[in-house]
Amino acid sequence: MSPRARPDAPHPHLTSAYCKGCGRCVDACPKHCIEPGTAIDPLSGLVPVTLDLEACTACGLCYEACPEPFGLHPDDEQHAWELSDPKEHFGPRRESSAPVAVDRPSRLIPLPSDLAPLIIKGTYASAIGALLAGCRHFFGYPITPSTEGAELMAKVLPGLEGVFVQACSEVATINHMYGCGGAGLRTMTFTSSPGLSLMLEGVSYMIGAEVPGVIVNIMRGGPGLGNIGPAQSDIRLVCRGLGHGNTHAIVLAPANPQEMLDLTMLAFDLAFAYRNPVVVLGDGYLGQVTGKVALPDHLVEPGLPAWAVYGDREHRRNLISSIELGEADLEARNLELQAKYDRMTANEQRSDSFRCEDAEVLLLAANTPARMAKAAVQRLRAQGVKAGLFRPVTLWPFPMDALAALLPQARRLMVVEASLGQLEDELRLALSHAGVAHPPIEHVQHTGGVLPQPDEIVQAVLRQEGAR
Amino acid sequence: MTVFYENFERHAHGEGLKAHSTHYCPGCGHGLAHRYLGEAIEALGIQDRTVAISPVGCAVFMYYYFDVGNSQAAHGRAPAVALGHKLANPESIVISYQGDGDLASIGLAEIMHAAQMGLPLSVIFINNATYAMTGGQMAPTTLIGQKTATTPEGRTTFAGQPLKVAELMAQLDGPIYVERVALYDNKQRVKARKAIEKALRLQVEHKGFSFVEVLSECPVQLKLDPVEAQAWVKANMAPVFTLGVKKDTSADATPREWHRPSFDPELLMGQIGASPDHPERHAAGFPVHLDADDVSLKLAGAGGDGAQTVAALLTEAGIREGFDATHIPSYGPESRGGTSYADVHIAREEVLSPASPDPHVLLAFNALSLRKFGPSVRPGGVILYDSTVAEAPPAVAEGVRVLGVPFARLAHDLGAAVVKNVVALGALQAATGLFPPATLRTALARHLAKKPELLPLNEQAFAAGVEAVARLMAR
Ligand code: SF4
Ligand code: SF4
Ligand code: SF4
Repeated sequence: MSPRARPDAPHPHLTSAYCKGCGRCVDACPKHCIEPGTAIDPLSGLVPVTLDLEACTACGLCYEACPEPFGLHPDDEQHAWELSDPKEHFGPRRESSAPVAVDRPSRLIPLPSDLAPLIIKGTYASAIGALLAGCRHFFGYPITPSTEGAELMAKVLPGLEGVFVQACSEVATINHMYGCGGAGLRTMTFTSSPGLSLMLEGVSYMIGAEVPGVIVNIMRGGPGLGNIGPAQSDIRLVCRGLGHGNTHAIVLAPANPQEMLDLTMLAFDLAFAYRNPVVVLGDGYLGQVTGKVALPDHLVEPGLPAWAVYGDREHRRNLISSIELGEADLEARNLELQAKYDRMTANEQRSDSFRCEDAEVLLLAANTPARMAKAAVQRLRAQGVKAGLFRPVTLWPFPMDALAALLPQARRLMVVEASLGQLEDELRLALSHAGVAHPPIEHVQHTGGVLPQPDEIVQAVLRQEGAR
Repeated sequence: MTVFYENFERHAHGEGLKAHSTHYCPGCGHGLAHRYLGEAIEALGIQDRTVAISPVGCAVFMYYYFDVGNSQAAHGRAPAVALGHKLANPESIVISYQGDGDLASIGLAEIMHAAQMGLPLSVIFINNATYAMTGGQMAPTTLIGQKTATTPEGRTTFAGQPLKVAELMAQLDGPIYVERVALYDNKQRVKARKAIEKALRLQVEHKGFSFVEVLSECPVQLKLDPVEAQAWVKANMAPVFTLGVKKDTSADATPREWHRPSFDPELLMGQIGASPDHPERHAAGFPVHLDADDVSLKLAGAGGDGAQTVAALLTEAGIREGFDATHIPSYGPESRGGTSYADVHIAREEVLSPASPDPHVLLAFNALSLRKFGPSVRPGGVILYDSTVAEAPPAVAEGVRVLGVPFARLAHDLGAAVVKNVVALGALQAATGLFPPATLRTALARHLAKKPELLPLNEQAFAAGVEAVARLMAR
């Protein structure tokens, strides 16, 4: 190829310190103006090339061959680094010319107050909660028993000019969410246990990069393929194992279709308040059960957070990333995250209680098993047993503060759950951290899609009481 | 170039030389690809709205350099992350940048599906035939015979054959522009620069998915000096990964139109079927003759019998009457034609356990369901079954009324087998008095609101069920 003489094009210029001596420009110059160097540059410790521009036609081929942004460049550019004072080479620091973004707040839009309650299943209630919370971007991969939520989104979102994407896998799903959430938008998915396992790498990235998003996990029986029956098989996973690294997310545990809507709405607010994913944890029963769901008095038109990588001038400075190369940097980062988890623990504990005011036998249950436990409390009360139900609504952070207040009068704690002790482990860990005295802990457990029934809970309590 | 930061603050805190030097080894092809990206972004005037997705691999720190919106993706996932950004803001120009291990091995699913969606995205694929960052292991694009840390004797076909990704992309319907370029001489560099600019321009024009594969030098892992590495790529890679345009339908591509999401309450209400409450209550009170607080029902049959529809109608009726109600389905493992059971509760205040292990009322559509659940009906309860296909169960609890009604035959007589569940609903109403007939008729009409032509037939079926029970009870 013949060198182009570009009369307008400038000759090359090189600041030696920025040359890595790769020789690509030497090879590129048709006029042999550039020679491999012989002297080590004191700043870089590398051997930069030398230029003799006698024969230079300003063809530009050399700087088009230079891999370094501040390496060989056209001489018409005026940059601070051209000043001779080495201090000036590296400063004064100029950051991006882009402005510093500010938060654009969300707007609450009122809904009519006389709306009839909807009669819908739990997954639908959750999907509608997301729509009311301003989510218009859904990503998901079908998996029973969560899919109907996704199907409703597929039906409704086009009518709202929203985006529904059936991803090629759960892995892709969570990364679509990472992108969309990183752009500052409200995004969600529905999944079920094996699907959540697949998402965990991405969840860890979201937590590390502080990307909000809502994951509705409708738990089924495990391990492995297990079955599609209702279970609480992922409590440990979502409370203690959200991917690699120092991770936590708020875990909301609804108990009926109404809460599927309410807590999904809340999940979006929490996700953005803390810049962290939030898990709405349901069981297969809760996903399927149809019930009465009252609508809230408003919907949300989301704003845009200042940190978003939205793809406009205002947000150009921003970076979504979880990488911290320096050990000290990463430790500092983890301590920041930990401080955030501590704030969640201090401020976001939620629970519900039923007849706990004088309860001597305290049942503790979440999700659908809490309904059975509530029925058991009624039957026990009818038989003169002072029973009450404490229901964690956040499984993480565990609502220890509220529980601790009930412990002094309780003679017995009984955990009712659809897993072999995952909820009980959360309780025991919380008790241990809080260092509070507590009565003996008993349990009624089922797994594999079997749910505890009110009668067996009553029987278990009566057995214990009889043994007293 | 203004598209690069004036100081690379993110590179080792911008200390010393690192504020103006890349982390790439001398002569690395990444730096050139970055240069051409920077030039293209500048030429197209899109710096403000560009979002660059940094991959995992040597380019993991691409965000050190470009003064654009930056996002760093997990290994293999850059196209999935890019799609998330693009769909969040269609006006943004999203660049997904990946190496060969990232894109062609662990991320093959993501890139293929992103490509097939065909959304305007610009993908830059750096093929240097090795896993460079992790120390020179085999990549999906490593050449046969090429020695790497994990193919110390040279790659054989047992380790798979080099994946020709540009050709693969060109086979897909999604992309509108696919080209493979190289960096090993002036001519190829000019083409590379143009290809990268075109890939971005097509996105600026909202046209579609563009893919540029760049044969790139990794002198370090090739253990060659950079100029020798150029010659190596030319002599060894270019014959296998042939250069040139592999697909270009961009001239025919029509710009995609985008819409802004709506937050209009009316629109949302319409989409989710929310409407103002006009209570139509017919019941004088809770059906205490069945239970003081909570009536449980089990509706059981095979898929297609319509048990779930009856359950949905009862639940809706209960809630419209101002009670709480739940419906939980359960299906056999066969998704079609297997068992189909529904548990329904109607509670005065609140349904607690939604399951019906010992129902007040059983509605059985076949003999199997009748045998299975008949004995579980609690004392004083009601069993209704389809006497067309089943016979009365041998053993039931004390005081349980057992009524056989030929649901299927009555439906058949009406000329529509599918309404047998509505016959059953009528029979259930008459036999249990759970709700007044008007409550269930209203639920039925609501259910058929979109197919009003079917209402008369359903009304007849309901009446047939009611009458059949009346005849039985008169006996
Ligand atoms: S501008 Fe052209 S002639 Fe001048 S040094 Fe560079 S390559 Fe050689
Ligand atoms: S191409 Fe750039 S880095 Fe390489 S030798 Fe030339 S000036 Fe130096
Ligand atoms: S290892 Fe290879 S690909 Fe990575 S920076 Fe060095 S030369 Fe470039």
